[in-house]
Amino acid sequence: MTAEMEALERRMDSLQAEVRRAMVAGDRDLARALRAELNECRSQWEASLTELEGQAPEPAGSHGAQGPILPVREQVHQVLTLLGAPAAPKLVIAIHDALFAGLLPGARLTSLRRDEERSFRSAPYARPYYICAALTAELLSPARGLLAVSTWPMDRRIVGPLSPRVDFLTAAIRVAERFRDLYRGNSGVSPESRRLLWRFAANIPRAAQSASTINPDEIIVAARAELAVHERADSEQRAESALRARAQLDDAEQLFGTGLRLSRLTSADG
Amino acid sequence: MSTLYALAKARAADSGFATQASTVRHVHLAERPLVLIALTFAGEANAPLAAMAGDTPESARLLVVTQPRNRDERFAFAAELAEIVTGYLGECESALRAELSGADEGGAGHGEPPGAFWQKFPQVIVPNEATIGFLRLLGRSTRLRRPDGPYPVDPAVPVLGRWLTFLAERAELPGSSLLVAATQALALHWATGQSAVEDRNLAAVLGWIDPPAGLTGRAAAAAAENPVTGPPAGPATDPTFDNEVLAPLIAACGRTEIGSAQRQRAVLSLQDSIGAVLAPSWRLVWRSVELLRGLTPGRTVSLRAESDLAAFLKYGEYLRDGGTPQPRRDSAVAAARRLSSLEQAQASYAAQRAFDDPLVLAGYRLTGEAFGGSVVAADPARLGGSGKRRMLRPLVTVETLDVVRVGPGDKLVSPARPRQSAVVMSVSPLAGARSAVELELSGGMGRSLVAAPGSVPAVGERLCYTTLTDSYQVSGAFPERESTPWTHGGPPPVYVPVPDDAVEAWS
Amino acid sequence: MNAVESRLEHIRGRVAPKSHNARTIAALTSNPGCARRAIMDAAGVDKQRLAAYSGFPAPFGQSQFAITRGNAFEAQVKANGCAELLRLLREHLGLSIPEVSYDDLNDVGGNTGLVVRHVRTRSLLARAVNSGSDAGTLFDHPLLRLQVAGRPVFLEPDLIAFQLGGRFHVVEIKSFAVIDGQADGDKVAAAVIQSAVYVHALRELLAGHGMAEDAVADEVVLVCPENFSNAPTAALLDVRKQLTVLRRQLARLASIESLLDVLPADLTFDLGMDDDGVPSRSPAELRDAIFTVDARYAPECLASCEMCFLCRHEAQGRTETLGREVRDELGAIDSIAAVLGLADGTLAPADDQAEAAGLLRAAARLRRECTGEAA
Repeated sequence: MTAEMEALERRMDSLQAEVRRAMVAGDRDLARALRAELNECRSQWEASLTELEGQAPEPAGSHGAQGPILPVREQVHQVLTLLGAPAAPKLVIAIHDALFAGLLPGARLTSLRRDEERSFRSAPYARPYYICAALTAELLSPARGLLAVSTWPMDRRIVGPLSPRVDFLTAAIRVAERFRDLYRGNSGVSPESRRLLWRFAANIPRAAQSASTINPDEIIVAARAELAVHERADSEQRAESALRARAQLDDAEQLFGTGLRLSRLTSADG
Repeated sequence: MSTLYALAKARAADSGFATQASTVRHVHLAERPLVLIALTFAGEANAPLAAMAGDTPESARLLVVTQPRNRDERFAFAAELAEIVTGYLGECESALRAELSGADEGGAGHGEPPGAFWQKFPQVIVPNEATIGFLRLLGRSTRLRRPDGPYPVDPAVPVLGRWLTFLAERAELPGSSLLVAATQALALHWATGQSAVEDRNLAAVLGWIDPPAGLTGRAAAAAAENPVTGPPAGPATDPTFDNEVLAPLIAACGRTEIGSAQRQRAVLSLQDSIGAVLAPSWRLVWRSVELLRGLTPGRTVSLRAESDLAAFLKYGEYLRDGGTPQPRRDSAVAAARRLSSLEQAQASYAAQRAFDDPLVLAGYRLTGEAFGGSVVAADPARLGGSGKRRMLRPLVTVETLDVVRVGPGDKLVSPARPRQSAVVMSVSPLAGARSAVELELSGGMGRSLVAAPGSVPAVGERLCYTTLTDSYQVSGAFPERESTPWTHGGPPPVYVPVPDDAVEAWS
Repeated sequence: MNAVESRLEHIRGRVAPKSHNARTIAALTSNPGCARRAIMDAAGVDKQRLAAYSGFPAPFGQSQFAITRGNAFEAQVKANGCAELLRLLREHLGLSIPEVSYDDLNDVGGNTGLVVRHVRTRSLLARAVNSGSDAGTLFDHPLLRLQVAGRPVFLEPDLIAFQLGGRFHVVEIKSFAVIDGQADGDKVAAAVIQSAVYVHALRELLAGHGMAEDAVADEVVLVCPENFSNAPTAALLDVRKQLTVLRRQLARLASIESLLDVLPADLTFDLGMDDDGVPSRSPAELRDAIFTVDARYAPECLASCEMCFLCRHEAQGRTETLGREVRDELGAIDSIAAVLGLADGTLAPADDQAEAAGLLRAAARLRRECTGEAA
């Protein structure tokens, strides 16, 4: 058994050297072929390893028995409802980890929007809400990497040029409010939560001096002050696009956006 | 760079083998140096991946970080490295102190340090300059940490940081031997037939100097450039190694459960691969040490080593007295003072090397800052002054083929008689591009009006004279800290490490 | 296809041309005097493959760890509506509070096609210029286009910021650290020259809309992690000098004709692939073909050109292989044999070599005196 593994290891070593030589030689075809062979060796080696241990290795990303308490879509819904604005999966996870119980497996978020769309298309409105897309203001296409909730008014799900900043400030206010309510009269904010708040506060003018002197009320005041600068222009753009979306798109497109239509691009250019 | 060194390189390129660039050794070599090789993880700011260290060729210890992006593992690595480095320095220090107190009791006085002293000389030898840079940054990222507070680290970590910072700063001092890059030490003594850029590769440099039997230096150097067979000596790794070897192994370590047999196997595999990449460089650094040991040390090498020892002991004492770590940045006055002392050390080191080594002095002869030749006339009994103030002032005339750029009144000294000074009386051109230089000598001849035997160069003696001096320069007057001018920011606050220093992210 | 293009295509042989990017264009400026490199780059030759096949593979490549880290840092700086970037631009460059507009040009309605993105980039930037203050501040991954040796190259800066003093600023996000105000000089230099490529391409684009050059600032914003953390910091870097070098080299590639004129008409670097993709040309013959184009080797090539080992091999015996400094110390004489001949007195100096020869003879005499080295 071990002798077999050692033979495999030697073979892997020499294959690795050959792959590296092929890469240096700029011979990508050869490198690809060698790498396939190397991967074959490696999986054999890992199989032997598993036998050695007498049990299958844990698949990536799994953390034993400590699974999520709620289905992923419900966890995401919780977070988005708190934020009140479209958000990227990274932010959703950060907020979840700081404020909610259980684990939100990041890998599952990548396919969530696609799964929701499939579900909606096969049985429209069968669920009380869907995790859906935010739509770009001009083209009404799904905004890259943002999650939103289907029950929100359309204009909240529109992303115009000012919306990323507006949504960030909105989220900052909502998160700070949540902290204020959670820790009212209680100074025991955990370092992790403090770090999350600081990530918002650091990027808003006059929201906080340093990570150690952070105060939710100050963040709220500062974020509202900047929000007041952008809010009107942003909501005008959003309202206009929302109107267009409702008039031009079918139900599924309203939730999950529409692909690029070149005619629209050209007219937008004109 | 001098024409002389350039010519040595040209000869090496022509012959295919390195040529001699000095006649003596200019670097002090400890009897038991600590060799240290380090690898970093690509893309991150000075994230350690691995180190190999030990004070004999047989005692290599390998440290490997299995998840280099993980902050805790980085500090665990720093703690392990501290055990080796601080442990080594601590052993040297206590042995030196024991030696010192023994010497005091024995009434040895303040002369030369006793021989046993040299056995404990602390010296860290790394493959190349880039590794010194790595250690400097590792020092920077660890010296301000704290063993208590919000992000506590092993108490050994900040101590390591302070020592590494001390060593890295000392390495900037010309002629210091506490932290030495093998490539630089070799280039000081041998000229390869390749460029300075290529001289940063230890394997290539050694290829030129010490090729395997049957190969020319050039061929050995070329072979050393293949990263698959001749892995780089760090701290950067070869990208194909990262992509084809390291990435799957690190992934395997991350995928397996801590404590499982798979994890053990994966970690072993990773260690083996990294060990295999470090092993050739390990041998090369020790081979460098061996080659350098084969050279006769110059006369002033031990002088500089003594000042290294003094600085080392002083810093150890400072640390034990609870001294604060080096600040993130020097204050204006400290920076100016440091620059001035580096310049002084540079001048003094250049002069010492020239005095120790005719081949280095030859560089100055080529530019007219020195000349060498035979004494053709001597008047050893000549007296200057009058009456009671008569003084012994012998005259000698040296004939030289060298270009002479000194003139009457210039003060010179000969490496053969460093305590005797010579003033140029006249320079006369002779046939065949020769020159005759008449010199008046003073000092170094005893107290009477008759020169001590051998103290005045005799006719026929060959010797050199130079304008270089190694006399102590009065340092520029620097204001005290508290009177730093406002143009330089006014008096700097006394540096007190703040908690933020200790919690600075290292991620 | 014009005559020059078909010439270049013949030189490249029957393979698709390598496409340029900001990094390879930046590399063009590192040895502008090298005709070999100019011809190969103009023809889109795969230099790495060619060098390896001719027997002199050079190790070039990027670690996937570095690539991963670079992408992660860029994503972080741009996360949440470029929250961190806005703070930096406000703090360091005085960007005003209302200027937060963000346009994502990574795709156009889900379409990531280069041409579509380029068209969209052009229209948004033109709109920003024409309508002034409220038509865009941050443009994420705009897609620019530049002609290099007659072929279009698409270029993707990390970000372009408008409205900083009424001008466009190229923002380059790099993941190497700035520690106590210091960064690796080579990396900064590489970032500066790459940014200069973007500045140049952006100016070309805006020139098409009748904009003067100064619509694009010749200072770029470099964003890097500070110290050992992930927290970003920003600095303004002047790229004027690099722009000059870059423009000169691009012009040189554009007028590649004069370089082609002196080359044999049938010159080709084709490897003679058979149907299975196996090269049939002899490496020696390929080397000879490569050697018909003059190279200008310097040790600096080792850091920037895939042909470096072959050119170094070819340059063996010449003082340039020892580096500029050594060459200058040797009186700028080309041949090492000549240097040694002059030094040992076996070669009579030419008129312009008299001074150098004198110095070399003296140096050789001193070496003999000190080492006993034979002449």
